[in-house]
Amino acid sequence: MNKQLEHSFVKQLEENQNIVHKICRLYTHDQDSHNDLFQEITIQLWRAFPKFRGDSKFSTWMYRVALNTAITLYRKSKRRVRTQDFESISFKIKAEEYDETIELQLKLMYRAVKKLNDIDKALVFLYLEDKSYKEISETLGISEVNARVKMNRTKEKLRKILNP
Amino acid sequence: MDNLDILKKEWQSREQEHPKISYNDIYKMLLKKSSSIVKWIFVISVAELLFWISIQLIIPEKNMEIMNEMGIGDILFYSNFVHFTVFAIFIFFFYKNFKSIQVTDNTKMLMKNILKTRKTVKYFVYYNVGIFILSSIVVDFYFYSNSEHLFEIMDFASQGMSPENFASVFIISQIVVGILVLGLLILFYWLVYGFLLRKLNKNYLELKKMDC
Repeated sequence: MNKQLEHSFVKQLEENQNIVHKICRLYTHDQDSHNDLFQEITIQLWRAFPKFRGDSKFSTWMYRVALNTAITLYRKSKRRVRTQDFESISFKIKAEEYDETIELQLKLMYRAVKKLNDIDKALVFLYLEDKSYKEISETLGISEVNARVKMNRTKEKLRKILNP
Repeated sequence: MDNLDILKKEWQSREQEHPKISYNDIYKMLLKKSSSIVKWIFVISVAELLFWISIQLIIPEKNMEIMNEMGIGDILFYSNFVHFTVFAIFIFFFYKNFKSIQVTDNTKMLMKNILKTRKTVKYFVYYNVGIFILSSIVVDFYFYSNSEHLFEIMDFASQGMSPENFASVFIISQIVVGILVLGLLILFYWLVYGFLLRKLNKNYLELKKMDC
């Protein structure tokens, strides 16, 4: 039974690992911390897995546990040097789609998002993942109206970071 | 369309490049130990509870003899009974709060529960420090008022000390020890809250501010 549970968990996490990677990328500044956070999220997901009842999608359930781990439970084991290269994001781009201006815009925007505080980052992340305000508010534990107000303020904050 | 919406569009349509972790590597991670803040809070809290309980248990036998001879042995026995009952109540609340920490709760609730667990331990320490100060004042005052009797019991005359000297040395050493203990406690809390809870407190306040 336990083996079956382990297999089912690892299989689903393997398929959905991109969600965890995206969170790790947003909340850490180098590859070692990224790996540490990935591991901690995996441990927390596995501990919580027996209570996962399957009434929501595995990926939906993952957002909450992974974000909670990044924001609340994870502590960097030691101070590490920030890698500038790690700050920017790399998307898989098809050659014919490549547009230098958009690419630059994306990199600047992503860098600005990384400068936000932990909570604003979570808000923006869920927004980028196209989660509804209802889901965002339920994940963070705030009211839907306040999530919307806060999102508008965060957008303003981002605008200011990009155009100081 | 603002910049964030452009990012959102691209975020949705393109896949980010990340190193893929294999089935076997994920499997191995399940066996690793967590180093989460909750684990550290649990370890530190249990160490604190054990520390204060062991302090009560390691009082030397000779001290009790002195208390008995000074006529406060019975009062101490009953107050210790009350004291340990309070300990048990604190431990019950600590356990209850700790069990309520669930990573599947919403972020605000999770933070609230972690801080609640810490708060129980914080009150436990306040209680102990309070009792420590209060009982020191009462006992010291009682001993000071009966310093001649104490002087005889502890047989300081054989060490060439006069009763007047004894009274002042006794009071000064009690004050110095008291200040040292308080200093160590403040240092400990500064370390725990500084290193462990700074990020959590900051994020919790940020979330609370949103709902105001």
